[in-house]
Amino acid sequence: MVGQLADYINALSIQLAKNNVETYVVTYSDSLTGAVEEASGVKIMRVANPVRTHIGVLTWDLTLNQEVERAAASIYYQADKQIDLIDVYDWHFIPAAVTLKNALNIPFVYSVESLEDHRSPNTSTPYNMSIKSIEWVGFYEAEKVSVKSDWMRDEIVRIHSVPEEKVKVVLPSAGSWIKDVLELYKTVAGGLNRK
Amino acid sequence: MKNKLSVMMFTWEFPPRVIGGISPHVFFLSKSLAKNGVKVHVVTCDFPGAPAHEVIDGVEVYRIDSYKNPAPDFATWVYLMNLNMQKEAAAIANKLRDKIDVFHAHDWLVATAGIGLKHVFRKPLLVTMHSTEIGRRDGLHTNTEKMIHETEAWLAYEAWKVICCSDYMVSHVKWAFGLPEDKLVMIPNGVNTRVYESSETEDYDAFRAKFALPDEKIVLYVGRLVYEKGIHVLINAVPKVLEKVNAKFIIVGSGYMKEQLLTIVRSMKLEHKVLFMGFVDDETLLKLQKCADVSVVPSLFEPFGIVALEAMAAKSPVVVSDTGGLSEIVDHDATGFKAYPNNPDSLAWGITKLLLDENYRNYIRGNAYRKVQEKYDWERIAQQTKSIYKAVLGEYSKSFWA
Repeated sequence: MVGQLADYINALSIQLAKNNVETYVVTYSDSLTGAVEEASGVKIMRVANPVRTHIGVLTWDLTLNQEVERAAASIYYQADKQIDLIDVYDWHFIPAAVTLKNALNIPFVYSVESLEDHRSPNTSTPYNMSIKSIEWVGFYEAEKVSVKSDWMRDEIVRIHSVPEEKVKVVLPSAGSWIKDVLELYKTVAGGLNRK
Repeated sequence: MKNKLSVMMFTWEFPPRVIGGISPHVFFLSKSLAKNGVKVHVVTCDFPGAPAHEVIDGVEVYRIDSYKNPAPDFATWVYLMNLNMQKEAAAIANKLRDKIDVFHAHDWLVATAGIGLKHVFRKPLLVTMHSTEIGRRDGLHTNTEKMIHETEAWLAYEAWKVICCSDYMVSHVKWAFGLPEDKLVMIPNGVNTRVYESSETEDYDAFRAKFALPDEKIVLYVGRLVYEKGIHVLINAVPKVLEKVNAKFIIVGSGYMKEQLLTIVRSMKLEHKVLFMGFVDDETLLKLQKCADVSVVPSLFEPFGIVALEAMAAKSPVVVSDTGGLSEIVDHDATGFKAYPNNPDSLAWGITKLLLDENYRNYIRGNAYRKVQEKYDWERIAQQTKSIYKAVLGEYSKSFWA
């Protein structure tokens, strides 16, 4: 666990499984690599980076993405290609989501926890710009963007010029939270094949 | 099953984008494969003025957005570029009517694009290792070098077969990444002899006069001005040659050692004998190669040595350092002169010997040209490559991915 995201994904995946959604989580771990099925029915695939030496977060991230793709693709083929959508959190695995979409027609929701513009305010070094550009590709390629507040929706519209109707606010504190998530997923599922 | 084999190749350079040897390699390989009935899709970096998609002699060429924002450093740019390459290649492969049978990546510069797409489409990945970081740097000294080395190792691990352009590279790559013998394939690099034939009848006197006096012999170096290419060894050999024979040294190419080399030349007071040309266009290069009395390839590390082959095709006698792929291309005293690597005296001796003896020059010239035509013909190389594709697909058809 690095931030609050791990707890959120844990709670979300358990709720999804309870609502009869076949849920797979692909995530990073250096020590617990491999596939495991939790008591909740959620299947988790943990991958590590085959490249051990790095010069920054970007090179680490962009190589790890190939392992994320490998894990996601193996889930896809084992599930008889019946994956309706991908929900990707923040910029780290946007490269994998974008490739899986373009290669296999799996649409994705980009769920935003935070933006590089807020994490590193008023900085535009090549390093920050690279992360912002990955975020931008995510917004461009996503079917829908999911955020946890109206403020974040407005910030995404302001900073990345994303059309407002593409951004959906899903409040984790709301009683209807999991219903809202499922509602959002339904608007996206199979979206690319329908076109 | 459809009958035409379909390959998607990844390369960071393809004409008109030319940085090193991969660009002409993929250009001629893909065209020759197309002639041999293989459908080739080349995915490469964009270049100012070059179209995003074109068909060249049956080869589909796609130029992707190579990530033009400022990147923190070169290696990080490579991975960012691969993000775009993979994204666009995924869409291209997805939309093709005939599905891709094989992915073929050239060097670590396109490693992550190739590895990811192999898994996403579940098709075999082939790799041509043109060079290695551990060889280029003579060891791994920084985190960047280690990272690139580990990326190469990962690419070799993910590949169904690893193609190398010389026996030397086969053993080097086997050692560097601990690969099993049967994973490695040797297919030589090729040279297009036709471009040199077409200009056979032209008169070169006027062209030659622009670079050298009538009584000056021309010694040509073509390559990047970097340590591994041993250009400093040649510069140190210049005064030793000039003691025996009047010559002009023409240096084509650029690189980080340029200023350093200029300083050495100035300190020797030989500015009038050594001409730094920077990059030149193809036509000028071809003419220089035809005019050169000797072409020198003094590399310290050389996986293959295409420059030597090009010189041989242009009928310019070669002096090479006895290392790597150069050792295999040149037979000493038959198709060229082999000097001790990193030894200016040995290099000067070879250059002088050739410049002073016209009969010896002509003998080497004739032998070298015949060898190029027999062994390094693109047609033959394409057939060898195609048969590797077929062998891999045969094995693949029995795997659970098929």
